[in-house]
Amino acid sequence: MLLESVEYTRPRNLDEALRALASREGAAVLAGGQSLVNVLKNRVASVDLLVDVSRLDELRRIEVGADGGLEIGACVTYDELERSDDIRGAQPMLASAAGHIEDRQIRNRGTIGGNCCLSDPSNNLPPLLIALGATMNVQGPGGGRQVPAEDFFFGYFMPALEPGEILRSISIPPLADDAGVGYQALSVGHDSKAIVRAAAHVRGGDTIEDARVVLAVVGPRPVRHSAMEDLLNGAPASAETVERASEAIGDGDGLEPISDAHGSADYRRRVARVLARRAVYEAMMRGARS
Amino acid sequence: MSSVPVAQTTVESVEKPDRLGEWSGKSIPRKEDGRHLKGQALFTDDKWQHRMGYAHFVRSPHAHARIVSVDTSRAEALEGVFGTLTGDEVKDLSEPFFQIAPPPGGNLKEWCLAVGKVRYQGDAVAVVLAESREIARDAAELVEVEYEPLPAIVDGIAAADPDAPLLHDEVGSNIVWHGVYDYGDIDWALENADHVVKIDRLHFHRFSSTPLECNAAVVNWEQGTGVIEIFSNNQMPMFASLVIGPALGVPSNKIQFQSQDIGGAFGIKIGSYPQITALALLSKKLGRPAKWTEYRTDHMLSAGHGNERTFVDIQVPVMADGTILGVKVRAFDDAGAYLHYEPLGAVIWSQVVPGCYKIKHVQVDFTETVSNKCPTIPNRGYSRMQHLWLIERIVDVVATELGFDPVELRKHNYIQPEDYPYETPNACVYDSGDLPKALDLALGAVDYPAWLKRQEELGTGSGKRIGIGIGTTLDSGTNNFGQARIINPELPFSGNGEAAYAKLDLYGEVNLNLGTTPQGQGHETTAAQVVADILGMSPDDVNVTAGFDQRHNTYVAFSGTYASQFAVTGLGAAMGAAEKLRAEILKVAAYALEADEADLDLGGGQVFVRGDRERAIPFIGIANLVYSNNAVLSPELAGSVSLNCRHVYVPPFQVPDHEAKTGNLTLTYASQTHVCVLEIDEETGHVEILDYAVADDCGRVINPMIVDGQVHGATALGIGAALFETFEYDDEGQLMQSSFYDYHAITALDAPHIKTEHVQTPSPFTPNGAKGMGEGGGAPLHAVCAAIQNALDDGAPVVSESHNSWERIYRLINHEPNAPRGVEVVTR
Ligand SMILES: Cc1cc2nc3c(=O)[nH]c(=O)nc-3n(C[C@H](O)[C@H](O)[C@H](O)COP(=O)(O)OP(=O)(O)OC[C@H]3O[C@@H](n4cnc5c(N)ncnc54)[C@H](O)[C@@H]3O)c2cc1C
Repeated sequence: MLLESVEYTRPRNLDEALRALASREGAAVLAGGQSLVNVLKNRVASVDLLVDVSRLDELRRIEVGADGGLEIGACVTYDELERSDDIRGAQPMLASAAGHIEDRQIRNRGTIGGNCCLSDPSNNLPPLLIALGATMNVQGPGGGRQVPAEDFFFGYFMPALEPGEILRSISIPPLADDAGVGYQALSVGHDSKAIVRAAAHVRGGDTIEDARVVLAVVGPRPVRHSAMEDLLNGAPASAETVERASEAIGDGDGLEPISDAHGSADYRRRVARVLARRAVYEAMMRGARS
Repeated sequence: MSSVPVAQTTVESVEKPDRLGEWSGKSIPRKEDGRHLKGQALFTDDKWQHRMGYAHFVRSPHAHARIVSVDTSRAEALEGVFGTLTGDEVKDLSEPFFQIAPPPGGNLKEWCLAVGKVRYQGDAVAVVLAESREIARDAAELVEVEYEPLPAIVDGIAAADPDAPLLHDEVGSNIVWHGVYDYGDIDWALENADHVVKIDRLHFHRFSSTPLECNAAVVNWEQGTGVIEIFSNNQMPMFASLVIGPALGVPSNKIQFQSQDIGGAFGIKIGSYPQITALALLSKKLGRPAKWTEYRTDHMLSAGHGNERTFVDIQVPVMADGTILGVKVRAFDDAGAYLHYEPLGAVIWSQVVPGCYKIKHVQVDFTETVSNKCPTIPNRGYSRMQHLWLIERIVDVVATELGFDPVELRKHNYIQPEDYPYETPNACVYDSGDLPKALDLALGAVDYPAWLKRQEELGTGSGKRIGIGIGTTLDSGTNNFGQARIINPELPFSGNGEAAYAKLDLYGEVNLNLGTTPQGQGHETTAAQVVADILGMSPDDVNVTAGFDQRHNTYVAFSGTYASQFAVTGLGAAMGAAEKLRAEILKVAAYALEADEADLDLGGGQVFVRGDRERAIPFIGIANLVYSNNAVLSPELAGSVSLNCRHVYVPPFQVPDHEAKTGNLTLTYASQTHVCVLEIDEETGHVEILDYAVADDCGRVINPMIVDGQVHGATALGIGAALFETFEYDDEGQLMQSSFYDYHAITALDAPHIKTEHVQTPSPFTPNGAKGMGEGGGAPLHAVCAAIQNALDDGAPVVSESHNSWERIYRLINHEPNAPRGVEVVTR
């Protein structure tokens, strides 16, 4: 399909980008374009100015702190995430998740910031970033602010961004020595849309000290499952614990998934528990190994 | 037994000098590949013409609605728009397409754009021509169509209900064809069988092979000559000509189809004739060539889906020893909103009435309906695949219900190697085969005993299930168009054929052209192989014209590339033309060498005296004598050779008996035997294929690499259909999978490693022993469904859908304890 005619600008720095964005009501940030351009081709959004931030140096850096904490520029591509030694060292699951997004062409262009700002509940990275305790660094005309990843994904295609704001970078705290990350997805084919995703971060030795369990594609936004987390925290790190804790999800009552071509809401609810259990178990095993 | 089928059909075996061997049978690299890999191919979208405009169709968002008004004024006012064409204009300027069905189904009226009503989501109501694709698309949005929505019917069986919303007033109901196929004596079999296995319902779903390249055409109705030039990727241009000519009131010699490279077609590209017709009218109206390149979503909404068939009230009489006596079933084919090539699907399945088995008594009560969905169009495995899936499901259900081993039950019921040629209950003749050997090879390739052991070891509690499934299938090829008379006795069609034209060129090389429209099957390569063998030269020196051009290529009305027949009809024509050329070459050589023709042989691009290679004349010498030195020849010789030889291959067919619905409907029966080993995750229904093998028998193989490629393709498409790919409509008739986001077409990442084995039972009926094999017969659907069933517990329902998403598999595994199983066994 084809685009309607639209203006395009490529600012030289973030300030210029913010100004261009503020200049018109119909202005939108363009990153990798892998979603936005399709949306425009399908003519479901009306945009009359594209502000291309994809080549801004300020948004393209990966910085790793002495403690292993990361600050990843919003326009770092999936391919760069996958190949970066810093990411592979500090957050191997993020590198691997980025390396499994769709196909090579999309990974060459799609960006971590775009993946988040689209706020598509089926996207790969949001649930993982929540599990990792990431913080979104947002820049607006009036300055910067920080939003916990947990609060950033507001609803279907609605990130917690005010008009005129740009996601500058994403900070991820270091992975503790006794922590592990698990990530599970059920999708139709090898590289197709996900039916349900679950991400988990588990810290602790023989006893689970801190567990974060995130479910996605089960509603308008990825959600932490605090009932399951509560059952994990303080319990012995064992398969039985995980199994018992996952029962908190039950048949997924309380989740609000949609029915679509890939699966019914009922099916999504039922497999949510399975994926959460597997993700937590995976996190626990990885944590124990490291 | 009350009635024993008597032999009705004889097919002459072909006597032929066998010259194939030096090049045929080898995996020589494909002539086509260089240009494809280097981006030098010529696809329709690469075609450009002076003053050309770009077309965009305006499509209905409704499944069923009256068209109140169409206002094109805002679109026409947009700068860069050349003009528009609407259904009302089309009604004035053209005739409805001719219908294959007899009345009342044949009363159906379809024009190239919707007239008065739209009947499915995606039905085209108008078309716009503009100076760029972008403007055409923008303008299409400015066409204002007012609709008055009508209730939609999306279920093919419910459509038959007299109270269902009516699609076509002139038909009087939604039933467009009905007939009963009755062979042997099914009542006797049901009364005398030890068991009758009854299955409530089996549903074969809609999907498509989604060719990489969508439909496309550049159509120019030349004002000066009155010729309609059509450069397109339509795969059956002669059929399209037969349909388009009368619709436009143009003689066929004014319609000129051309194509070169085609990015896959699979039958789907038979269906582009309505759009081509609309483009012709648009071109005439606006005095410009009209180019159309279909977008994927348009393709998915409107280019055609494979046939959807529902089988109900299935009854299978079986003897205590496992002999399957017969099948009784009611079948409903849902053709979608219009009849594109349909209702031929209502007879084409009967090429394979008993599947691979000695089933003698078959009754199929066949109804074809229209519904508010995209029209169906032949899709790889067309109509036979649906029936073969039914038969394979039946064999597996019988095995499961009566406690037979699925391997032994198959071998017991298979047509045996010594039974060929085998006449089926409806007088089709299966030419050759060795099904037990093929099954053994496929089972051996996956190490069947080892998997059985693994399956047992896995046990309960692992959360995993292993299932092993077999799919035996036939790919019937080279069809007898006379079978159309079983649908409509008035149709003047029968037989089949293909044409080829071989000439020796000026320096002794060979040029060959064909009536076919290849889409990746490697015709240039295999035709060069057989011609090279017959003429004793290298395939490198045989230039096969790329693509089809009605102005230059030779053809017959059957020409095209469809229905698993090139190896027989296309190569049969090429071989015949090469033989004629060989005879002329020998005649000239005998004169030049002063030798007896009987003492001459061909090799290395020369004619030589057998036993004395020094006495030789190269082809360049022959060409020289005939083309530029003919005063040297005797006048009789000069007047009797042209080195330009045409041959039409005609398969040995008779006209079928349309009343009895019997006759030899296809010449060859290739087989594919698939074995699938899969693992199911009990908690999610997710499937992983652990092992996969195919044993293929297409008779004599001309190019093994090309055959393997076809096997791989058919396997991947079938697995995709079985697990991922489906077109479903909601109750309002909205297509739920109209892009690749929602329709997951299988990719290499999803496909298993495919182990291939080969059986070669040459066909006695074809010029080269080959059997057409491109369609493949849908075996993965059979094998995957069987494997899923095999993984389920005994109390689980029958796998009754050909498409099984993770969710459906999840529900089969986690079925309610007393869920209806959809099957019943009555034992005497
Ligand atoms: C065929 C296909 C399949 C896909 N499948 C998947 C999949 O399975 N999983 C998955 O996760 N993704 C998938 N994607 C989407 C892909 O990951 C996109 O790259 C991603 O959703 C958006 O990233 P982008 O950089 O391309 O952003 P864009 O498309 O450029 O932008 C997306 C949205 O985010 C906004 N935006 C982008 N960057 C910023 C920023 N820095 N600040 C503020 N707003 C911003 C844009 O304005 C726009 O609204 C698929 C895409 C395609 C084409």
